[in-house]
Amino acid sequence: MNFLAPLFFMAMAGLAIPVLLHLTQREKNQIMRFPSLMFVRRIPYQSVRRRKIHNWLLLFVRMAALAMIILAFARPLIGREDASVAPGQGAREVVILVDTSYSMGYGARWEAARAAALAEVGRLTAADRGSIVLFSSGAEIVARSTNERERLTAAVSTAAPGSGGTRYAPALKVAGSILADSKLPQREAILISDFQRIGWRGEEGARLPQGARLTPVPIQGGSDAPNIGITTISMARSTFSNQERVSVTAGAVNRSDKPVSGSTIALDVDGVPVESKPLTLAPGASTSVTFAPFTVRAKNMRGTVRLAKDALAADNAFNFVISPSEPLRMTVLDRGGAPALYLARALAIGDAPKFAPTTKSADALSDEDLRVSAVVILNDSAVSTALARRLHRYVEQGGGLIVVAGPRATWPQDVDLLPGSIGNAVDRSRSGNSARIGGIEFGHQIFEAFRAPRSGDFTMPEVFGYRAVSAVPTAQVLARFDGGSPALLERRLGRGRVLLWATTLDRAWSDLPVSPVFLPFIHRTVRYAAAYQEPKPWLIVGQVLDPTLVSSTRTTQRVVLTPSAKRLALNDEGSEVLELTESGFYELRGREGEDIPVVVAANVDSSESDLTPIDPKEITAAAVGVPGGAGGNTGPGVPLTPEAQEKNQRMWWYLLLVGIALLAADTIISNRMSKA
Amino acid sequence: MDPAVLARIGNLELVSRVVADGFINGLHKAPYFGASVDFAEHRGYVPGDDIRRMDWRLWARTDRYYIKNYEAETNMNFSVLLDVSKSMDYGSRGITKLEYAKIVTACLTNLVHHQRDRVGFCAFDDDVVEHVPPSAKHMETVLHVLERLKPGTKPGRLKEPLHKLAEHFGRRGVLVVISDFYDDPQTIVEAVTPLRFRGNDIIVFHVLDPTELEFGFNDAQPFEDLETGEQMPVVPEAFREEYRSLVQAHILALQQAFAAVRVDYTMLDTSKPLDFVLYKYLGSRQKLRQAR
Repeated sequence: MNFLAPLFFMAMAGLAIPVLLHLTQREKNQIMRFPSLMFVRRIPYQSVRRRKIHNWLLLFVRMAALAMIILAFARPLIGREDASVAPGQGAREVVILVDTSYSMGYGARWEAARAAALAEVGRLTAADRGSIVLFSSGAEIVARSTNERERLTAAVSTAAPGSGGTRYAPALKVAGSILADSKLPQREAILISDFQRIGWRGEEGARLPQGARLTPVPIQGGSDAPNIGITTISMARSTFSNQERVSVTAGAVNRSDKPVSGSTIALDVDGVPVESKPLTLAPGASTSVTFAPFTVRAKNMRGTVRLAKDALAADNAFNFVISPSEPLRMTVLDRGGAPALYLARALAIGDAPKFAPTTKSADALSDEDLRVSAVVILNDSAVSTALARRLHRYVEQGGGLIVVAGPRATWPQDVDLLPGSIGNAVDRSRSGNSARIGGIEFGHQIFEAFRAPRSGDFTMPEVFGYRAVSAVPTAQVLARFDGGSPALLERRLGRGRVLLWATTLDRAWSDLPVSPVFLPFIHRTVRYAAAYQEPKPWLIVGQVLDPTLVSSTRTTQRVVLTPSAKRLALNDEGSEVLELTESGFYELRGREGEDIPVVVAANVDSSESDLTPIDPKEITAAAVGVPGGAGGNTGPGVPLTPEAQEKNQRMWWYLLLVGIALLAADTIISNRMSKA
Repeated sequence: MDPAVLARIGNLELVSRVVADGFINGLHKAPYFGASVDFAEHRGYVPGDDIRRMDWRLWARTDRYYIKNYEAETNMNFSVLLDVSKSMDYGSRGITKLEYAKIVTACLTNLVHHQRDRVGFCAFDDDVVEHVPPSAKHMETVLHVLERLKPGTKPGRLKEPLHKLAEHFGRRGVLVVISDFYDDPQTIVEAVTPLRFRGNDIIVFHVLDPTELEFGFNDAQPFEDLETGEQMPVVPEAFREEYRSLVQAHILALQQAFAAVRVDYTMLDTSKPLDFVLYKYLGSRQKLRQAR
C-alpha cells in the first residue's frame, strides 16, 4: 500500500496529545469558584502528573480516532495490479500529427515525413486505434480514431504540403482532445515535422491529457541545399505620357548556408514577362531588385515575381494584383455651382487616392451623381426637403455626407439626418473676440494624425463666425469651439456617415483655409466620410478573405474561384469570409456573373521559409510536462483511467468515517463518565 | 439550630429573636456569667475631682481620700463592621459566609438591643458600603439594611474602609469586625488596630467555610479566585495538606497578632451553630471586664 500524502504521518505526533491530557488533567470540569487562591498561590507549583492512566478505553478510543483521521488524510493507495496493465501492453490510441506546412516541401522532407507516418500506421495492431491530423497554421482531422489501417494509409498517401505556415499548438490541442476522449490504456501522439522554431511560440494550453505520450519524429536533412525566397515587394506608381506606370521592387533573401549564384529573379504581369535579372546571394544575405516599370492598363492585373527553382519552391513566387489608381469620386454642392476656391484647391492635390470632385448646385444633383459619388459635400447650401430625403437614402446605403454650415446653410427640420440641428450664427468678428478650435477628439480617425506634438495646431486658426449647433443624442462631437459649441460632429446612419462642420471652409468666417492643417484636415475628412481603404495588392495565406477588404465598391461578391480552380460559394446567411489556403490568385465573382471580377493575390508567409529548427524536447516538455516525452507513465505501470484511480484511493473515505464514529463514541463515553 | 436552616428562614428579625431569646433563656445556667456591677475601681483623689464621688467610708477606715469610679457605659455603643466583599459570597454547606455573618450580626444586634444598648452597623468591601450610626432606635434599621444587603462586586480591602470608619466612632463602644480576612495577618491587624484608638473594644470574627479550612475537593480542575478572577489549575490531592497547614498558620498568626493588640479574635466555622458565637461573644465580654 502506498500513500499519496505521506507527510500527513507527521501528524501522528498528535497521538501523544490524548496521553498527555490524560496524565495531566483527567477531566476538565467546570471552573471551581473559590473565595481566594491566596494560599494556593503560595504552594510552590510543581509539575503535577498523574502517575497512572485511569481510563484505558477512553484513551484508546481517542488515539484510534486520531490515527484513523491521519491515515485518511495520508490518502492510502491500494495495490493496483488488478486494475493496471503492464508497460507496453494494452491497446493504443495513436494520433499521428503530420506537418503539411510549405516548408515540408524543402528537399525530400515530405517524402520522409510521409514514410514516417506510414510506418507509424503500420505499427498499429488490430486493437489499436489511429487518427491522422494534418496541420500547418491550423489542424485538420482527416481520420479520427479508427482501426481501419487502409483508411489511415490513404489519408497519409493523399496528403501533400500546402501553403500554410507551421503552428504546433493547434495540432497538439486537436491531439489532446482526441486522446482525452479515448478509453484505451495507452495514448500516444506522434508529431512528424521538420520542427521549425518559427512554429512554436511557447503556446500555453497545448497540453496532452495526463498519461499521454508525445513522440517527436523530426524530419531533417537537405539543409545544404540552397533556399532563397522573396520576402516582400513594393510598388511605386508614376505617370508617364498620361499613362500610369508601376515600378516593382522585390526583396530576396538566402536562408540557406550555401551561397547562391547564377540564379534569376523575374517579373511577369498577366503572364507576360517584364524583366528577368540575375541574382547572386551570399549565405544569409538579402537584396532588393527593382524591375523596369510597366504600364497599368487594366484593372486587376496579375503580377508575379519569380525566383529560379530551388529546394523550397513555395517561397519562390510572390503574387500581387495591381489596378489603375481610381480617384475618389465626390460631388460638391455649392451655391451657384461654382467651386469654392480653397476646397477645390485642396481636393485637387490629393494623390493617394486622388480626389475627383464634381461641383454642382444643389438643384442639379442627379441620381447618377449620387450613385458614382463616395462623398457628397454640402458647402454652405440651402437644402430642400426633397434633396434632404434623397441624401438620407444615399447615406443609409453607405454614402458619405459632409455638411458645411456657413451663413446660408439650411436643413429641413423634418428630415433627421444631421448630427445636430443648425442654429443661429454666432458673430465673433470683433477684434480679439475670435473663436478657436479646441476640444478635439484626437483618438478619432480624422484627427489621429494631429495627435503628436508639432503635427498641426488647430488652435492657431481664428474663427470669426459659426453656426450654433445642438448635437443629437446619437452624434459624436469631434471638435468644439472655445465657447463649447460643437465645431465638427459625426453621426452614423445605416452604412454611411454624416459629418457636420459648423463654420465655413472659405475665409468668410475663418482663416482655417490658409493654415497648414487645412489640407490634411480636408483630405482625412473626405477619406473618412467615404470610408476609403486602400486596396491591398496581396494577402497572406491564412488570412481571411473579406470582400470589403479588396473592393471599395458596394457590390456583393458571392463566388470564389481558388488558385487550384475550385469554385466556392460564400454562404448567404453565414459570414461572407473565406480563409485563404493557397498561394496564387483568388477571383471573386457575383453569382449572376458580373463583368469585372475582383482578384486577390495570396502569398505564403515568408517567415515559414526560415528553416531554423527547434529542439523537439522543448515542445514535448510543454505538451506533456516531461522532457522525455512521456507524461505520467514512466512508472512500472500504465496510467489508470480516472475511475480506476478513484477506486484505488477510495479507502481514505472509509478511514475518515471510522475516525468520525470513534469520535462520536468518545463523546458518549466521556458524557457517561462525567455523569457517573 | 443549624445555620443552614436559619438561613432558609430568611427573616433576620425572626432569626435573631429565635436565637437570642433561646440563648438568653439559658443564660441563668451559665456558670461563668457574672453579675454586672456599676462600681469599677478606686483611685486616689487629685485636686479638681468632684468631692461627691469621694468614698467617705474608705476615708474613715484609712484616713486617705479615694474616688469611686463607676462603669459609665451602662448604655454602650455597639456596631458591627461586616465585610461584604466577593469572597464572602461563598458557601459549600447551603449557607454562604455572608449569610452566616448577617445572621450573626442580627443575633448580636438583637442581643445587645435587649440590653438597652445602642446598635449600629457598617458594611464594607474596599470602601464603606452601608453605614447605620449607633442608636437605641436603630435596631429595625440595622435589620432592614441587613435584609437587603447583597454581596459586593469588589475585592475586599480592610485598611481603607476601617481607617475611614475609625474616624466615625468617637464615643467608646464595642465594635465587632466580621470578615474572612484574606490578607496578610500583619496588614489585617494594622487595619483593625486604629479602631481601638478611641477606646473601643474590638471583637473580630473570622468567618470561614469548612471547605476553606479542609480543602475537601477531589477533582483536578481550574480554580477561579472570586475576588480577582484569576484562574489556575489545581490538583487538590496534591495541594490539600499544604493548603491546610497554610490556613492554620494564617489563623494562628491572626490569633497571635490580635492578642498582641488586645483584640478578641474568634474563628467562626459556618457549619457550627450560632449559639457558639454568642457564647463566645459574651465570654469575651466577661473576660474583658475581668481584665479591666
